[in-house]
Amino acid sequence: MESIHASEVKAICKGKMVTKHLNEVNEVCMQKGEFGREDKGHKESEDVVRLSVIAKSYAGILKELGEDVDRQGLLRTPLRAAKAMQFFTKGYRETTDDILNDAIFDENHDEMVIVKNIDMFSLCEHHLVPFFGKVHLAYLPNKRVVGLSKLARIVEIYSRRLQVQERLTKQIATAISEALEPAGVAVVIEAIHMCMVMRGVQKMNSKTVTSVMLGEFQENPKTREEFLILTKN
Amino acid sequence: MERSKQGSLHGPNEKRDAGESAGKGYGTGGGRTRRPGAPAGDSCGSPASPDVETWREERARSVEDNQISLPGLAAAYTTILRGLGEDPQRQGLLKTPWRAATAMQFFTKGYQEEIIDILNDAIFDEDHDEMVIVKDIDMFSMCEHHLVPIFGRVHIGYLPNKRVLGLSKLARIVEVYSRRLQVQERLTKQIAVAITEALQPAGVGVVIEATHMCMVMRGVQKMNSKTVTSTMLGVFREDPKTRDEFLTLIRS
Repeated sequence: MESIHASEVKAICKGKMVTKHLNEVNEVCMQKGEFGREDKGHKESEDVVRLSVIAKSYAGILKELGEDVDRQGLLRTPLRAAKAMQFFTKGYRETTDDILNDAIFDENHDEMVIVKNIDMFSLCEHHLVPFFGKVHLAYLPNKRVVGLSKLARIVEIYSRRLQVQERLTKQIATAISEALEPAGVAVVIEAIHMCMVMRGVQKMNSKTVTSVMLGEFQENPKTREEFLILTKN
Repeated sequence: MERSKQGSLHGPNEKRDAGESAGKGYGTGGGRTRRPGAPAGDSCGSPASPDVETWREERARSVEDNQISLPGLAAAYTTILRGLGEDPQRQGLLKTPWRAATAMQFFTKGYQEEIIDILNDAIFDEDHDEMVIVKDIDMFSMCEHHLVPIFGRVHIGYLPNKRVLGLSKLARIVEVYSRRLQVQERLTKQIAVAITEALQPAGVGVVIEATHMCMVMRGVQKMNSKTVTSTMLGVFREDPKTRDEFLTLIRS
């Protein structure tokens, strides 16, 4: 069985460590496609090997839970669950630079740009159970604006990982900050954690709200207030 | 639910990996799953179809089984973390295999519970033959195809035949069957069948409205889609007016 440690593949995104502001976090970005074609083929076969390892683990889990792995409904479940889990963690294989796709434009605009109600789905790194909710983000451009969908894609990259909501919020804010160098960035996430709803304390209606304010949003209360009012539902 | 190719109970000493059958034996088999007074293995008079095991034939996973299987589960989760490219040694993930294993055992704790215990003799003779509805029962289950949560609400109605059930027991029946690896259609039917077997009412109606994370978080990714399934037995199936009354009352 392969033993792959994420720390062995710590990535550098175009020379900048995205963990610059997150010293305590051992972030994993997969190496950007500076590989040649043969390396891409190698990566794909590596993925297939990993998939079968994960599927085998899921088959073991089903047995340990006492289920009958040979019954019709469960026959292909290990493979499906493994693929699902790989999809839920696909953010590790993507980088901000990939998805920004040079969609940064010079625009003489320095008023707040808000994208709100971005659906977000992530996995709690403590229980491997989903948490999901909405992300509201805003930035104050410094003559450079980004394609709007790219903000949602940045949310996707960081949410499709094993996460902690606080870290997710900060990573999104930091990524926007580094990509655009705006006058300020604000990110608010409101999420429901299935680990609190389905198990443990079992509080059905609880929501967790986290926020990160950078730059102008942090220093100027009025700017922050404008953002919070505009994103209030 | 096809947990085993055979419907018989396993004795308490049978090992879980005995291997002679596709089914798994658990610590607490015994006769406790039979409803008092009911003949052994009798399912002729019940509305259960062959693929829905009656709760008379269930076997339970025990707490001891959970403890025995926990290290294996945790090891499997550690392998999964590595396979996904994560570092199981980093601080946030150090105890994750154990937490995930315990969480998964909780999400499948329905296998540990038996309907006969849940009912707890809370069946009362009551001269009542009007519809009883318990609606908006929060339900959390696991999709057996992707091992991803399903959650939603269950609405149950029944027409008593001079026997009523403690109301919380309806919600507990939902818990027993939902805390398993499930398919929503089967879950709906199992709840309806269990109530029918316990009370022999004039009719039972069960409606489940649920969101499947396997459709929302992955695959087709439709955020607002809901799946609705229903099972109508007895008068609820035969009499449209009764069914209408039930469906109207759960919507209000």
